[in-house]
Amino acid sequence: MSDLLETYVRPEKNPGTACKGCGLRLAHRNVLEAIDELKLSTGDVVWGTGIGCSGRQTFATWRGDTFAGTHGRVYAMATGLRLALPPEKRLILTVGDGDAFTIGFLHLLNAARRNVDMTVVVFDNLGYQSTGGQYGVTTPLGSRTDSSPYGAWEPNWTQGGFDVLRILKEAGATFLARHTVLQGHEPVESLKKAIGNRGFSLVQLIYPCVTHFGVQALETRNIATVYDWFRERTSDDLAADSNTHFTTGIVHDAAGSRPEFSVAVRDFVASVQKGGSRGGTN
Amino acid sequence: MKRIFDTGNAAITEGAIRAGCNLFAGYPITPATEIAENMSRRLPQVGGYYLQAEDENAALHICNGGSIGGLKAMTATSGPGFILFADAFGWAVSSEVPVVIVNSQRVGPVSGITGAPGQGEFYLSRYLTHGGNYETIVLAPASVQEAYRLTVRAFALAERFRTPVIVLADQMVTDGWETLELPETDDEFAALGLEVVPRRINPGPEFYPASDEIDVPPVVLGHNTGAACSDWTPTDRGHDTEDITWQHKHAWRLIHKIVNNRQLIDEADEWFLDDDPEIILVGYGTPSRVIRSAVGEARKSGLKVGGIRLISLWPFQSHLFTRTACYLVVELNWDGQLVREVERAAADGSNVHFWGRCGELPSMAELLDTVRQLLDNEPLQRDGWRTEKW
Ligand code: SF4
Ligand SMILES: [Mg+2]
Repeated sequence: MSDLLETYVRPEKNPGTACKGCGLRLAHRNVLEAIDELKLSTGDVVWGTGIGCSGRQTFATWRGDTFAGTHGRVYAMATGLRLALPPEKRLILTVGDGDAFTIGFLHLLNAARRNVDMTVVVFDNLGYQSTGGQYGVTTPLGSRTDSSPYGAWEPNWTQGGFDVLRILKEAGATFLARHTVLQGHEPVESLKKAIGNRGFSLVQLIYPCVTHFGVQALETRNIATVYDWFRERTSDDLAADSNTHFTTGIVHDAAGSRPEFSVAVRDFVASVQKGGSRGGTN
Repeated sequence: MKRIFDTGNAAITEGAIRAGCNLFAGYPITPATEIAENMSRRLPQVGGYYLQAEDENAALHICNGGSIGGLKAMTATSGPGFILFADAFGWAVSSEVPVVIVNSQRVGPVSGITGAPGQGEFYLSRYLTHGGNYETIVLAPASVQEAYRLTVRAFALAERFRTPVIVLADQMVTDGWETLELPETDDEFAALGLEVVPRRINPGPEFYPASDEIDVPPVVLGHNTGAACSDWTPTDRGHDTEDITWQHKHAWRLIHKIVNNRQLIDEADEWFLDDDPEIILVGYGTPSRVIRSAVGEARKSGLKVGGIRLISLWPFQSHLFTRTACYLVVELNWDGQLVREVERAAADGSNVHFWGRCGELPSMAELLDTVRQLLDNEPLQRDGWRTEKW
């Protein structure tokens, strides 16, 4: 890890300000490992972030070029940025579950529809943790949080037969995976595939928030106990019961099956410039 | 010059293309839809990209994203879409990203009336985002020809000041048909006082200088300069910080890069102000054309009446109101917006009056009636809410 940090992380941003024991560091490391194993350098990747713990902890850590968007809008920004970047440049976004699946979901769906070449890594801490612990659309039903003192009861998008990744699949995403950070190298393998896909990829990476989720929902300040709960709940069978487990694996791999957006736009523009039939004249 | 007969929407499109715009993202909305349509036809011809966004919030964010990649980006909308820019506008202001925003004002509030002119976003254009600590550049065309010129100018100012620039038009300017002269040569272009400022790339490591200097190359990602830009308060390197000292420096720059270089922005027409007129009519956009006619007519009948047409709205040109006089501010709204700034700026002893209406222009005769009442010290005859002592 120290090598990875030296290579890829700005020294003034190391070790960062995440809480002691926070699983976000593991998630962050997974992404760096994937980049490293793909032999990408700082100049090969542009790194964007959203709002929340994931954004605050990862913005400007990347030694290369980096940006942070307003809450939930970074997918729209990345759509514009993608048009300006050379196709080989990798665009990685580390964002939270709230950023991606609630406030930014409209933009996320449209980025998937267009198959814009970006890798969205959702650092999923099961709710709104940077604001002190409120339930979101990945918070397990029944969880106590500061805004669900009687237990979270609103339908979410990970249980009761719903899977937010299936919605993204229908929307046109070409690579989708879900993991927890307690699965060793498995998330890294999926992240490598996601980053390699020249299209819209999303990896949901569930990690333990010890400060809020651990204390409020699991009622413990013991970091090891929190991690045990996450480990026990992790299943590597995607067909397992999502009401009781984090079902993990590659949900959808259709890399290369659809035209990538920025390539398609460039082709379209070139066809108009050649007097193509769709172009019209002036 | 190529002379054509076309709309303000077409003029804005051609201005953007001439300025080097190569990304437009927008969402259809009356009366700005034609700008999107025109851009969808013109941009691919010049190698640029047209995107139809999922909403206006996305539209400006797509523009911001393109801009930090080095594209010259523009969006266009009307009131209900303009309000949705708050989020992305603030991001562009704080990250100092060049982008051009066109607003064709219609009748509000909310959806109001789509196909009629209003001037309800005078203050909203100044304060299009939350949090304060910034200045805004807003330009207001009054004709098709000027819509072309100010769109080109908006792109140049956006680059030089590293900030979003708003072209605040109204439905009559954008939908109206007039003769439009398009420069065909660089000389003709320059003769209009116009320039194209190319995209520049900040080499770093100091992306956010704590100074009021302009012409600092913007942050551009993808060149491995270590560029960093965000919604957070930045250090000089663009890192997020909670240190209030950096915040002071940042706010000082956002304000003073604009106010200390405002001579590059300020623009107004002044009519018959040399002989200390008793009444000065004030306005911007389409109503200012009626003002101009009314002032000319008043002079013909020997009345000492002058006029001021604001071409740049923000930063506000308070220096135009240092004469002690009677000001009559004419606007396409019933609540009075510009008039509040004139009241604030007007020299001591001035009288400031408001003539408001929305959805249609005042007639010259109506303005002249009010001028005569003011000159005769008659109590202002109130027809509806038309005339107010402010
Ligand atoms: S609040 Fe939770 S998710 Fe955020 S840094 Fe602390 S432990 Fe991590
Ligand atoms: Mg969260």
